[in-house]
Amino acid sequence: MSRLRGLGPLTRAGLLQAFRSPTSLFWNLLFPLTWLFLFGLIFFRDTGDKVLMMPGLFTITIMSGAFFGVSYLMVNERESGILRRYRATPVSPTTIVLANGIRAIVTMSLAITTQATVGWLVFRYQVDGSLLLTVLVLLIGAAAFVPLGLFVGSVAQDMRSAPAITNLLFFPLIFGSGAALPASMLPGWAQTASRLIPSSYLVEALHGVMVRGYGLAQLAGPVAVLFVTMGVGIWANGRLFRWESSEPIDRRKLLVTVAVIAAVYVVAALVAPAFQMTDAPGRG
Amino acid sequence: MVIRTAGLRKEYGSTVALHGVDLDIDSGGVVGILGPNGAGKTTLVEILEGLRQPTSGSVSVLGLDPATQSRELKERLGVQLQTTPLPRDLTVRELLQLFASFYESARSPEAILEQVDLEGAAGQKANTLSGGEKQRLVVGIALIHDPELVMLDEPTTGLDPKARRDLHQVVRELREQGRTTLLTTHYIEEAEHLCDRVIMLRRGEIVADGTPFDLVGQSKESSTIWIQVDGTMDPAPMLAAGVEPLGEQGGHHKFSTADPTATILALGDMLRSQCLRLIDLRLKRPTLEDVYLELMGSDVNEEEEEVTEGSP
Repeated sequence: MSRLRGLGPLTRAGLLQAFRSPTSLFWNLLFPLTWLFLFGLIFFRDTGDKVLMMPGLFTITIMSGAFFGVSYLMVNERESGILRRYRATPVSPTTIVLANGIRAIVTMSLAITTQATVGWLVFRYQVDGSLLLTVLVLLIGAAAFVPLGLFVGSVAQDMRSAPAITNLLFFPLIFGSGAALPASMLPGWAQTASRLIPSSYLVEALHGVMVRGYGLAQLAGPVAVLFVTMGVGIWANGRLFRWESSEPIDRRKLLVTVAVIAAVYVVAALVAPAFQMTDAPGRG
Repeated sequence: MVIRTAGLRKEYGSTVALHGVDLDIDSGGVVGILGPNGAGKTTLVEILEGLRQPTSGSVSVLGLDPATQSRELKERLGVQLQTTPLPRDLTVRELLQLFASFYESARSPEAILEQVDLEGAAGQKANTLSGGEKQRLVVGIALIHDPELVMLDEPTTGLDPKARRDLHQVVRELREQGRTTLLTTHYIEEAEHLCDRVIMLRRGEIVADGTPFDLVGQSKESSTIWIQVDGTMDPAPMLAAGVEPLGEQGGHHKFSTADPTATILALGDMLRSQCLRLIDLRLKRPTLEDVYLELMGSDVNEEEEEVTEGSP
């Protein structure tokens, strides 16, 4: 257990920071609400679209938490030298990465709870399927993408390159996956291509439970891909964690890791029809 | 032996930061590493802490290899890095609790607050502390797990004299508690007053090593003597003893001598034979600063400017 020593206090410290900093409160709570109203004003006037867009909204919240929240935080802690100070103590990289991950999942959960509550109060939005299963899928989604965000945080050189990398990833993740625009609005080739984008599986799973009222068995395909995403993300973190900005990034390891991640989604896209996921969300 | 290095060498690209440093440090006391910026002080300390890997040579700290046994070492080694950014928005007590949780065993935050005199600031956010308070907190964090060996990298740089004295008191207490403290500094008087042993580093090489007394004794610099007598003095006997006259200053005869003991004996003879009474006698031995300036040569100029400007 000594590998995880300090996990509780480090997570607690991170949460205290998140709730004491006005900037962090803005990004964690107010910003997700802005998305809710943006979506509400554009789509929610029509009952049909209203039901369709909530899975996309939650997916965007998870993506922005994982990529902007977590990865910036890692880069910032490394660049400012806080990680270097931790390095002089026996605390392990696993503890640091895990604490940041748990913190992110907690703040995301709060953001989504706020969105759901305000969405219900203002737009009368309700989940059609099982609420419990919805929460479970959301947690699996958060746990799948937070490691990828942490991984981006480890490979971004500094606070100048971090925004470039995260934006480069963020926009395909929300626009190519059917999260920001219904997949049915995309041309056929783009719908096929969206199978290569990890977040499309989260949109699919959420759409399945929230809109179509599917049970866990029917969600097995996308949920399995989310679990693989989590595994790959954790594995990638272990390979490329850096304590200091001055530590060089191992180019070969980075290349191999990115290639493995890419390969996972090519395989997922090929296997997807077998899981009957060809029915893109938004057409149900 | 608490620290032992042999042939320790560190290169950064084509720059050589350490040229084969051999070091033996026994347990107990305060050891100062003195040198201008760029002398290799931080590189040396960070290799001992396991934060940097040497290019070649061997290192042993508390009998452990910092590169391969770093976890064990970190449990017993307290570290204050030259720049220590702390997580924002946490209070002094919360930071101590956080760091305490990283160790197998740790002291209570209250004990540390008392030791570094921060009881009054326990609930304050660390980013609102004054420079001296922040530095005491950072040293307090280094002591949270009751380490046998403490390494402080320029703990007083940039602090005002009062804050510096407060920190010196903390270091003196470390010595009383029987811990070994390794301290880097570019304040010479700090090394002179605080350290039992001073190691001077210049361009990655040890150029002097000993107690402040020994080092001053080894100086080639001469002592200055001021003498005031109640009559007219013929300095001939003193000149015969190899003393150099430097004229008069404030009613005193001023001399320079390489051998103060022989000079004082000659002075006694002279006073007796010329029937003079001594009104005042002052002797100024070379200081550690003289020794430092002698050894550092041209490297020191830049440094002096910085010290007088008071910026790190």
